[in-house]
Amino acid sequence: MPLLEIRNLVVRYGEIEALRGITIAVEQGQVVTLLGANGAGKSTTLRAISGLEKPASGDILFDGHSIAGLGPEAIVRLGISHVPEGRRVFPGLTVKENIMLGASNRKVSASQISREADAMFDLFPDIRTFSNALGWTLSGGQLQMVAVARGLMAKPRLLLLDEPSLGLAPVIVQAVFRIISQIRKDTTVLLVEQNARMGLSVADHGFVLETGRIVLGGKPDELWGNEAIAAAYLGGHAKARA
Amino acid sequence: MDLVLQLLFTGIGIGAVYALVALGFVLIFRATNVVNFAQGEFSMVAAYLMVVFSVDLGWPYWLSFLIALAGMALLGVIFNLGVYYPLRHRTYLPVIIATIGASILLSNSVLAIYGPQPQVLQGWFDTPGIQLGPVYLDSQYLLIIAVTILLVLFNFWFFEKTLLGKKLQATSQDKEMASLLGISVSTMIMITFIYSAVLGGLAGILVAPVLFVSIQMGSTIALKAFAATIIGGFGDVTGAIIGGLALGVIETFGAAYISVPYKDGFAFLVLIAFLIFRPQGIFGERVAEKA
Repeated sequence: MPLLEIRNLVVRYGEIEALRGITIAVEQGQVVTLLGANGAGKSTTLRAISGLEKPASGDILFDGHSIAGLGPEAIVRLGISHVPEGRRVFPGLTVKENIMLGASNRKVSASQISREADAMFDLFPDIRTFSNALGWTLSGGQLQMVAVARGLMAKPRLLLLDEPSLGLAPVIVQAVFRIISQIRKDTTVLLVEQNARMGLSVADHGFVLETGRIVLGGKPDELWGNEAIAAAYLGGHAKARA
Repeated sequence: MDLVLQLLFTGIGIGAVYALVALGFVLIFRATNVVNFAQGEFSMVAAYLMVVFSVDLGWPYWLSFLIALAGMALLGVIFNLGVYYPLRHRTYLPVIIATIGASILLSNSVLAIYGPQPQVLQGWFDTPGIQLGPVYLDSQYLLIIAVTILLVLFNFWFFEKTLLGKKLQATSQDKEMASLLGISVSTMIMITFIYSAVLGGLAGILVAPVLFVSIQMGSTIALKAFAATIIGGFGDVTGAIIGGLALGVIETFGAAYISVPYKDGFAFLVLIAFLIFRPQGIFGERVAEKA
């Protein structure tokens, strides 16, 4: 049984159908990457899983149980942690406070949370020195580190990562993806990326979304092998020249 | 010089009341992005609750005080469920109009029960005050200042040192993100309304023996407190407290040295000056950074 199973999911924003019946499965322990252009429905898929958008029809099964229609607070308690687009680090709270609040879905003491947040800096040594800095003072790469660290504090069984590379310098992107390849040892990851090359480099499986539909799915090698798809979505021309 | 000290004491005393109500404004504004125009009525209702328990029923002052505050906490719950919660997914405009409606409902309900005659509430202490050198310290003003200091300290501890305070801050900064982390946004907003209602109620109970207990006392205090939040920098907790104290001192000195009938006008002159020359208020820039 897959950890996460999405069946014929339809999500509408008013008149607009953002997702037109997508079906994907994420197996326990995998990293699955959703690729696609702007507006293809990648973020909407994650927002529907975490409960920010209500499905118009279709079902979302987590661990075999339907979570479609539950609110975000209930879903994160089940073990799905969503690191949304734009990082959304609380600007008026410090780095450590931001990370500590990531454990709000679990019933643990404040001192235990504080210890766990300190331990999180072992995985993210670059932000350790900014522990007491307010969120708004950080750079994009630091914000991304804080956002992922905060997402991991939920001790999720499934981590949803939305565009972690967006707006970051190449060196920082590599650092972020090094962290993703470390996270995958304990956590299943559903990753949304526009940077197909990076996104597939860590993936076990990939799906390509186009205007609300899954147009292709398969192992990263198979996706690279499909020439038309590679040209359209994965930067195939660049690959051909290389 | 003696007069200056005396006026300073009185000004800080009345300013502390404005500060407490202003704090209620700011906390609800930060949590819901809406100005609660019934904040002043919280003070008025609490003062009337004191009249009911302490004067009409003759219960001990401290007991009436505790029950009145508990009543305010309950009013905070009802206000949240009845005024804010049904409209929480709408824009700020329907919510603001609903708070104005609630304010009219509260003052007219009290009017229907008590009539337009102002009521009198005794102060907490039997002794009217103490003479300290050249300055006469009114016992009720001393109490107001002491309670305000304690509450400001409590407020700082609560929002800066506790995890619940951090969750409340997170909710006011980004509700959707807070809910993604498992923070119950509706509970956080409920807590904010309860806390603000109790703060407003406390201000009303403390100032009632200094003023009369009347239907209008809420709107008078709320207008000054609203001016205080703008002077301090809207949305800033420290600004609300500093703004409230400054306003109390300014209008007291204005009344003493310039004109008593224009006492209420000074607050609004200062407000207009701020709106023209420094609309972001004293602590305004920090708010912009937080936004």
